[in-house]
Amino acid sequence: MIFDFELVADSIPKMLMGIGMTFQLLFLSAFLGLILAILLLLMRISGKWYLSWPAQVHIYIFRGTPILVQIFIIYYGLPQFEFIRDSIFWPILREPFGCAILALTLNTGAYVSEILRGGVLGVDRGVLEAGAALGLSARQKFIYLTVPIAARLSLPAYSNDFISLMKATALASTITLVDMMGIARTIVSQTFAPYEIFISLAIVYMILTWIIQKTFGRIEKYLSRYVKPEGLA
Amino acid sequence: MEAVTGWWDDYFWGSVVVLQVFVASLILMVLFGLIGAAAKLSHNRIAQKIAAGYTVVFRGTPEILVLLLLYFGSAETLTAITKLFNPETKFVDIPPFWAGTLAIGLIVGSYATETFRGAFLGVKPGSVEAARALGMSNLQTFIYVRIPEMWRLALPSFGNHMLSLIKDTALISIIGLNETFFVSKQAIASTGKPFTMYIVVGCIYLTFSTVITLAVMGMEKYGNKHMETAR
Amino acid sequence: MTTPTPEILIQMKSVNKYFGNFQALKDINLEVKKGEKIVVCGPSGSGKSTMIRCINRLEEHTDGHIVIDGNELTDKVKDINAIRREVGMVFQSFNLFPHMTILKNLMLAQRLVRKTSKAEAREIAMHFLERVKIPEQADKYPVQLSGGQQQRVAIARALCMKPEIILFDEPTSALDPEMINEVLEVMTDLAKEGMTMICVTHEMGFARSVADRVIFMDAGEIVEEAEPEDFFLNPKNERTQKFLSQILTH
Repeated sequence: MIFDFELVADSIPKMLMGIGMTFQLLFLSAFLGLILAILLLLMRISGKWYLSWPAQVHIYIFRGTPILVQIFIIYYGLPQFEFIRDSIFWPILREPFGCAILALTLNTGAYVSEILRGGVLGVDRGVLEAGAALGLSARQKFIYLTVPIAARLSLPAYSNDFISLMKATALASTITLVDMMGIARTIVSQTFAPYEIFISLAIVYMILTWIIQKTFGRIEKYLSRYVKPEGLA
Repeated sequence: MEAVTGWWDDYFWGSVVVLQVFVASLILMVLFGLIGAAAKLSHNRIAQKIAAGYTVVFRGTPEILVLLLLYFGSAETLTAITKLFNPETKFVDIPPFWAGTLAIGLIVGSYATETFRGAFLGVKPGSVEAARALGMSNLQTFIYVRIPEMWRLALPSFGNHMLSLIKDTALISIIGLNETFFVSKQAIASTGKPFTMYIVVGCIYLTFSTVITLAVMGMEKYGNKHMETAR
Repeated sequence: MTTPTPEILIQMKSVNKYFGNFQALKDINLEVKKGEKIVVCGPSGSGKSTMIRCINRLEEHTDGHIVIDGNELTDKVKDINAIRREVGMVFQSFNLFPHMTILKNLMLAQRLVRKTSKAEAREIAMHFLERVKIPEQADKYPVQLSGGQQQRVAIARALCMKPEIILFDEPTSALDPEMINEVLEVMTDLAKEGMTMICVTHEMGFARSVADRVIFMDAGEIVEEAEPEDFFLNPKNERTQKFLSQILTH
């Protein structure tokens, strides 16, 4: 069993053709997911039960079930209903891409909102008290004190979630999307060379992960320039 | 909902499979996690490098990729070997159960490595010094001081790892494991109700994750009893 | 020649505060005139911090009345904010905004609460930064300053709002010994210039030299209240005597 390097050299460019799809899935759902996460967070900390509850339910469901199941429910399950097929959203929900984005967004939104909530809870109470003592309103305290500090605190966990999201995009291949994973599986089914193909694809993903980690590391370093050496201000 | 009748049996046994995978992979995860953490904390450069490689590989690769690689790779190897003895062989694989368990055990184990390592480092040096000063042996210090504190520190993340384990089980259906997700695909072929069937799977997994979350919350409460301050 | 009666800035009448079933403040009655310096002392858990935190509504009093500069302290946000504009606070753990430079720390509330222009806020900020003797730290971040410097910045931050009263909640308790004096000096200067102050502290030397009145609190009550001389030389209450003997021996 020799490792077929020629095959690797031949296949990598083919797999990389799927990187566009991978990136589209990643960045679009990350962006939409972040918006959703902020919305969910605000609902969670609003103090009003009719906002807080739905948010908690969403988070509970999307963190408590496998993302593969979520993808399948949206792509294969929703068409079961006539009202879905008749709705204005059908053009999106009919397409695997739209479904994948929807599933990934709903999923990452749930996780990230909890991460942001952790950040908000981590803001030093004393800092907020000082703001209150100076006469800042609740809204002012949130915008000028909580948000900047919570964002920095959330960053490490957020970068982990971003990487998880990238890995989750590979699941889009299960609903026919042609990303790197999808192309790889096709090649393997044709060549019966799982080691060569999958290992080289794994290396591609690892490189992407490394790039993401380095980027977030830079951002963290910049935001932490005013932080004590132990790591917490 | 009537569509589901007749399939409850299959879903039940599918759930049993999920639990079996959970237990088996949990054991592997703890094993790999402890070994990895020990390697990273040791002074042995080679061990550190291997452990670092382990975490980088399994945290940077999609779960589905690891799963397919392990399963099809080992199948390819086994088939090739068996072909040497019996040219008629078409396809030999390791049972999806074991391929899947190994895959998710390795993956979540790499996250557990960091968790255990962090927990070990989180034990206050002062407590350890105090134990030594009181005359306790290394082993005693480890058992009575280090481990309880490590467990308390690791618990929240450990809970998350357990949740990952149980949810990753759904992936193994892709290589044919007869758990709930797999069952639902058959049910759909028969009833034509994909939404219903997948929702059932979702509910089953939601139940599992809820139980795990509650169990962890209970353990956290118990473990933090000594941290509750008097008013 | 009639001396104008100094106005009463703070009035606490029959104030009680409960945390659940625990009574933290018992029937507090206190009057503070403009320009007075009050020092509050007492053992841990006596309610001293709780009392002053009720004055700027960081804690809510359960019953009784608190009137500040003629405004009654109620639930209404408008009332609370009006009072917080006039009452400054310096915390034990400084509580500077970690993500902002010193200058920004001093300017933020001015711009948001008093709606001061950027230029004017900066001028005022630098003025008070010079008053506390650290103008060169303006562009640094709090983490780069020593504890004593941070606390002086905190005092300057409170002063930038031009408050009528400043509350000090154990301002030197978190400082290394060698930095306590620089902060006490600033506070003493402030006192000399006529600022109305209520100071919770263990620094008895400061109390002796600066306070107009010393108040001893224990278990949520005001046990004794007197001018410094009388307080330290002739404590009347047994609990006061016990407390003083404990803290003044070393």
